[in-house]
Amino acid sequence: MSNTTQGRDDAVDFSPADVLIIGAGASGATAAWSLTDTRMRIVCLEQGGWNNPQAYPTAGRDWEARGQADFSINPNRRQLRGDYPVNDDDCPIKIANYNGVGGGTVLYAGHYPRFHPSDFRVKSLDGVADDWPIDYEMLEPYYAENDRQTGVSGLAGDPAYPAKQSVMPPLPMGKSGQTLAAGFNQMGWHWWPSDSAIATQPYNGRDKCINLGNCIHGCAQGAKASTDITYWPEAIRAGVELRTWCRVKEITLGEDGLANGVVYFDENSEEQFQPAHIVIMACNGVGTPRILLNSVSDRFPNGLANGSGLVGKNLMLHPYASIQGLFEEALDGHHGPHDSLWSQEFYETDERRGFVRGFTYEFNRGRGPVATALTGAFSGRIPWGDGHHAAFRKLHNRLTGVVAICEDLPEEHNTVTLDPHLKDAHGIPAPKMTYTISDNSQRMLDFSVARASEAIRAAGAYDLLIESPLSVGGWHLMGTARMGADPERSVVNEWGRSHDVKNLFIIDGSIFVTSAGVNPTRTIQTLALYIADQMKKRLANLFD
Amino acid sequence: MQNTIASDHPLTPEEQALLRTLAGLIVPASEEFDVPGADDPTIFADILQSAVAQQAEVKAALEYAAGLDGHPAAHVETLQMSEVVAPVVALVMQCYYRADAVLVSLGMEPRPPYPEGYEVEQGDWSMLEAVQQRGKIWRDV
Ligand SMILES: Cc1cc2nc3c(=O)[nH]c(=O)nc-3n(C[C@H](O)[C@H](O)[C@H](O)COP(=O)(O)OP(=O)(O)OC[C@H]3O[C@@H](n4cnc5c(N)ncnc54)[C@H](O)[C@@H]3O)c2cc1C
Repeated sequence: MSNTTQGRDDAVDFSPADVLIIGAGASGATAAWSLTDTRMRIVCLEQGGWNNPQAYPTAGRDWEARGQADFSINPNRRQLRGDYPVNDDDCPIKIANYNGVGGGTVLYAGHYPRFHPSDFRVKSLDGVADDWPIDYEMLEPYYAENDRQTGVSGLAGDPAYPAKQSVMPPLPMGKSGQTLAAGFNQMGWHWWPSDSAIATQPYNGRDKCINLGNCIHGCAQGAKASTDITYWPEAIRAGVELRTWCRVKEITLGEDGLANGVVYFDENSEEQFQPAHIVIMACNGVGTPRILLNSVSDRFPNGLANGSGLVGKNLMLHPYASIQGLFEEALDGHHGPHDSLWSQEFYETDERRGFVRGFTYEFNRGRGPVATALTGAFSGRIPWGDGHHAAFRKLHNRLTGVVAICEDLPEEHNTVTLDPHLKDAHGIPAPKMTYTISDNSQRMLDFSVARASEAIRAAGAYDLLIESPLSVGGWHLMGTARMGADPERSVVNEWGRSHDVKNLFIIDGSIFVTSAGVNPTRTIQTLALYIADQMKKRLANLFD
Repeated sequence: MQNTIASDHPLTPEEQALLRTLAGLIVPASEEFDVPGADDPTIFADILQSAVAQQAEVKAALEYAAGLDGHPAAHVETLQMSEVVAPVVALVMQCYYRADAVLVSLGMEPRPPYPEGYEVEQGDWSMLEAVQQRGKIWRDV
């Protein structure tokens, strides 16, 4: 077996692939698995490598320090071999991602809500943005299939959703969840166990969660459903070839106007050409527009599949607010996954609040001793010198709260473009994010802070720590190659195919029309299954 | 106090000494809580080793501190407000709050989370009854 290729025994095979997937993250893995039914030759190129979960930070005493270093959520800080720089100077919310097999799911918290029926009908219901060309009902069977494949824990019966099953029981509330839930009950507000991509029982060869905490720096137990341990092993067993350390520079176009392959740098930084009959982009809401914009030709001087001019536009990020309370009694500290409960009390539009659309509160647990000390030091609560120890002990294990995930509406001036100066290790232009928080989002953030403050105080907090917007939280990357029926107003059609290049598909977060007020990955993977299924159903006339 | 100055270190001996002074100012030893300070030899050895990976930021912080008149103890107010010094604060906390003696004093086990994990209580799920009673809140389309 070659060093970088899993799934084939021979050296690299440069004969044309039937399907070439770029990116082995959430959506790439999911589509690769689904397409194995077709017996086509599927190759996936991924710029990063595999991880050994048992080498993740929580396996060592320096676990909190590594979360700010080689397992930082920010690629500009991490700077690993698989990473590329992102210019986020003009963005108040900084980039967070992971570049390697599993993509962002290696680091995601696993908070795993579905969209709601109303999320696909924003224009019809609230007169803003656009409706999706598909709806909840069409996606429901794919949600269910992805839930089984991923292994979703939760509790059926959530009044904020149409009926859905959970695959296994919810994560424990813990002291922190129970404390916060009491506050929400006092306010008379909705809360429910979060749907989570974290196994609470042994599932499909994965072990159950043992409350290591620190989920956003990798799950050493393998209980969190990152796609390197869910979809990928099955896809590879079924014959998909995954080539790691292969960074795609551009997609090339044949004279017939179809994509005919990709130019990439292999693990030795040699430039290679891999021909293909179908190309699927799965590089996320920043990586996908970057490669499309870098793929210029006479036919597409402004970037491949960019007839609409919308590639890289309408970047949505989900502004977050963090509202944490300080309590007298000891809570969970860093024990337990970040996920526990959610509230969708303010999810659906109520214009009396001063904004349209809404948000989800995601309840957090606590933090480790280093993070506690830094929170205290940088918020002026823990002084230098003799007062340090008493002040630290007032915070230690006594912090918990919520974050609000606010629906971000698409705006064309929020963009991903190619940076004219910054380049990655292979000389490919780096992406530049340009983004401002809209008035609607700002009003929603302010409202979410005010209401959460009430509930957390009702739960017994004597002091609050607030950060809004959460500057580190650019982890949901959406909208930059949007889906739609109208080729003038969208990049891909209602089943993920580029309007302009009929053998080019996009399946990652960039195709989102609107962002909803929930974390996106369950819907990204569901869309990947849906699009793969549409391809399978249309194989005979896929390029018509 | 044991000498922990390392000669093959990117920080000069003067910088190492200043770093140790700052560490002791940030987190001093406490008899009341029965804990060492961050300038304790074992903890400081960890700080010094960890400083290598962050040397540019640490050197900038030390240069700033060295530029203040007199002993750093006279400038604690200024130092703790300074963004340039923040990486040193982060470095000190990272190492201090993983030291065995410190974790034990906090009632924590000095071990990594994996593979043993932790117990987290289920909580009282009957609290959900109030929410269930309200019924459906999602919006029809
Ligand atoms: C810290 C953190 C916490 C998060 N928490 C949550 C959460 O709780 N819930 C949730 O729903 N979401 C969460 N997310 C977001 C989630 O990770 C993403 O929504 C999801 O991974 C996006 O899927 P994707 O397929 O669009 O792209 P990704 O998963 O990002 O995959 C893209 C892949 O493409 C590869 N790639 C990019 N460019 C190239 C190229 N030129 N050549 C070859 N390969 C390339 C990348 O290396 C990467 O592996 C979190 C993310 C982070 C970073």
